[in-house]
Amino acid sequence: MDPTLLTVAEASHAIAEGRLSPVELTDAYLDRIDALDGELHSYVLVLHDAARSAAREIAAGRSRGALHGIPIGLKDIYKTRGIRTTAGSPRYLDHVPDEDAESWVKLRDAGAILLGKQETHEFAIGGPDFTLPFPPARNPWNTAHYPAGSSSGSAVAVAAGLCAAALGSDTGGSIRGPAAYNGIVGLKPTYGRVSRRGVFPLSYTLDHCGPLTRTVEDCAIMMQALAGYDPQDPASADLPVPDYRAALGKRLDGLTIGVIRHFHERDAVADFGADNAPNPTYVEAFDNACRVLESLGARLVDLQLSPLIDYVDANRLIMLAEAYALHETDFRERPHLFGHHMFARIALGAFLSAADYVEAVRQRRELALEYANALTNVDVAISANATGPAPRINAVSTYSTFERASYTGPYNLTGSPALSVPIGFESGLPLAFQIAGKPFDEAGVMRVGYAFEQATEFHRQRPSMAESLPRHQ
Amino acid sequence: MAEEPILWERFAVLVERAGLTLTPEQFEELRQGYRFVERMIRTVRRSRDRAAEPAHIFVHPKD
Repeated sequence: MDPTLLTVAEASHAIAEGRLSPVELTDAYLDRIDALDGELHSYVLVLHDAARSAAREIAAGRSRGALHGIPIGLKDIYKTRGIRTTAGSPRYLDHVPDEDAESWVKLRDAGAILLGKQETHEFAIGGPDFTLPFPPARNPWNTAHYPAGSSSGSAVAVAAGLCAAALGSDTGGSIRGPAAYNGIVGLKPTYGRVSRRGVFPLSYTLDHCGPLTRTVEDCAIMMQALAGYDPQDPASADLPVPDYRAALGKRLDGLTIGVIRHFHERDAVADFGADNAPNPTYVEAFDNACRVLESLGARLVDLQLSPLIDYVDANRLIMLAEAYALHETDFRERPHLFGHHMFARIALGAFLSAADYVEAVRQRRELALEYANALTNVDVAISANATGPAPRINAVSTYSTFERASYTGPYNLTGSPALSVPIGFESGLPLAFQIAGKPFDEAGVMRVGYAFEQATEFHRQRPSMAESLPRHQ
Repeated sequence: MAEEPILWERFAVLVERAGLTLTPEQFEELRQGYRFVERMIRTVRRSRDRAAEPAHIFVHPKD
């Protein structure tokens, strides 16, 4: 059997029982990368020799746990010591860090094997940009379509079976957007839950690191290794980490789920324009997902928050201000080192005042409190993710980032955990919704996501490109 | 978003104050994109109680 078809949980089990070797698994993934990534562009650097060497070392050693011998990929904003890390930017084309991102260290200590560095929008914001040295990653469900970003390469690689799992980052939806368009699972944990140390920043107070996986169970396995206090990340929270897999179950009896419908049913069109109307197939898929949750024993209630634009524009303004401040010297002195989209988007931050920023941060506090109060009487909330299938990649405009409604940004603003899970398909392209929770309740959102996943088949469908190579069938 | 972009002369002042050196193409693209900044500012600029503080602290949940 092709071992790349196995989930992390299944591969881990097979390795623990001696039915699969980390070397065989790593070779199978490298074969797939060599065969398919010329079309998908999900990797900017493939570590053939280093991955094989690590696999041999892992295979010869004692078991390190659930990630023992599992091949993964890293978005190329995660620093890797001695291994080029570009942040997708011409500015860092030859940048070789002398430190490892803390979250990669945690995965490596848990036995993960690094297959390579994965394509990212420039500094996690400027893409898909055809002017950059690395071509944008392509959606494996249809390579003419956009895989979303900025963790584009990571999501594409997971969906296409070019790694077992990956790490992305999320400032306004850069894990959950790609998860949605690629038909996989993506978690933005609570701000402070997973270390950001050693990851190129985009926006200090909105950046989150988290996993992209094929299933919620795999997400729980990754989070078990990733979560925890890092005294060298100033935002890191010193709180206990629960047993995430132990929280997973097939029923949701006794749970109350708040449904935030007005974001997609009213606010998107009212505040962002008619072309933001949810696709009818999406609305049907969202409503079906609600019925599935009810059938599992959950009680659904309507949740009302402030209009979507209040969350989204505060999130975008803070991101612009912080990102511009971070890159201001280069914008003034070395603008030629930026790709087109990065420059056109983040240079807008130059025109914000200090008072604009402070007002956005005051609004952030109001909305975070509103969200916390709204969740007082429910266990988790659900809301839309992208409300239609992935557009064609050449139809994504420079300012689509600011022009269109975003359903993911609210949870960056509140800092709360949010999980993207597949809920259907349209025209052969995946659709997804989000399960959001209270701060530090990743276990709660994964519990709901897992139960939903077990009751549906969407996560089992894979793009035809993810089928086995002939020599592995 | 059908609003008119900021006037060329007004935007030139903003660019100069920001210390950016732009090509004509960059200037025009940013001038068009500035509409989104204006919208964001409108969204967050509202009457608030003077005691309404920024989100500068994070309260951990109590056991």
